[in-house]
Amino acid sequence: MKLTRSEQSLLLDCLLEMGDLLLDCGAEIGRVEDTLSRMGAAYGAGKPSVFVIPSLISISMAFPGEEALTETRRIHSNGNTDFYRLEKLNALSRQCSAEPIPVPELRERLEKVAAGRKPFPVVFWGSVLGGGGFAVFFGGSIWDGLAAAVFAALICLLQQRLGKTQLGVVASNLMVSFVIGVGVGLVTKLIPALHMDKILIGDIMLLIPGLAMTNAIRNTLVGNTISGFVRLGESLIWAAALAGGFMVALVVVGLLP
Amino acid sequence: MITVLIQLLTAFLSSLGFSMLFGVRRRLLLPAALGGLLCWGVYLAMDAWLGREFLSCLIAAALAVVYAELHARLLKTPATLFVVPAILPLVPGGSLYYTMENAVHGRLDEARIFGQQTLIAALAIAAGISFVVALRELHTRRL
Repeated sequence: MKLTRSEQSLLLDCLLEMGDLLLDCGAEIGRVEDTLSRMGAAYGAGKPSVFVIPSLISISMAFPGEEALTETRRIHSNGNTDFYRLEKLNALSRQCSAEPIPVPELRERLEKVAAGRKPFPVVFWGSVLGGGGFAVFFGGSIWDGLAAAVFAALICLLQQRLGKTQLGVVASNLMVSFVIGVGVGLVTKLIPALHMDKILIGDIMLLIPGLAMTNAIRNTLVGNTISGFVRLGESLIWAAALAGGFMVALVVVGLLP
Repeated sequence: MITVLIQLLTAFLSSLGFSMLFGVRRRLLLPAALGGLLCWGVYLAMDAWLGREFLSCLIAAALAVVYAELHARLLKTPATLFVVPAILPLVPGGSLYYTMENAVHGRLDEARIFGQQTLIAALAIAAGISFVVALRELHTRRL
């Protein structure tokens, strides 16, 4: 299809939005670059040049016989994995690459995807099962698992509250880990049969950027060095914040009689 | 034996929990969670056979990606959706915690050992995934 000049700039805007959403639901850098260039090419732009790092997307594309269009967008995302939206975005990009839909319709579809979130009750019970499960997996008793499940519920609710503020991952990790550390410390003091380490390990799995770290190394190994290093730095700082919160909590609990 | 069974069961349940947490659609929950069980099973078998943590972790992660890619093709979804829950049991949450705990109590030698373990596991997972992804790229780019 032949796009008018205004449609072209709208398309560019849509691609930026698409990339923003993809990064926001935790897609890998290479995947985002790949998706955006493929979509641009499907709409008739010759060799779109797409550059993505975790905090920025830059797209430059030229339609035959016209001057190139370039736009960049600053990205603020905390990489909260959301496969619910990722799948919808993936389906949309596949459809567009196979047979481009009109640009205004693309815009509407993107807005629809942006508005839909993964259902909270499922997320809540998922955290409970995940935290509890991992406490037993790492050698805890069934009671440790139950305790970890209760604290996992607390983590989920806390994160939900903190996610609505502009706190950022570092500060919120620090706070959540402190609260959980003190809580678990107190409970294990009251009930000596529970193992503090196993409960905390189960709940840490919900908080550690283990995945971000793995993705960071992966990015570096496949050649996206800048993004890999940025993500690695980010995830190490998040882990340090987590450790800091737990450290203070352990010290506080240790001071109690 | 009973520990192995408990580990496999909890690996499955934990992967299921995280799949829910990450917003995997209901229809895909079972294959996603089974990936976690499979991956941990492979890790245990490899560890018993080879006794080398890095290698076992790498092979388990690589096979998890193969499993994920196959299911992604079959069910027409992005592969990440199956990779992430599958490799979760390999994520070194335990050693990360003990690194931190030992550091808090000033036992720096122990902290260093656990820190090393954490890093080795993360590297092995990443290398295992990248290996399979690179093979797939080689295959698809040629077509």
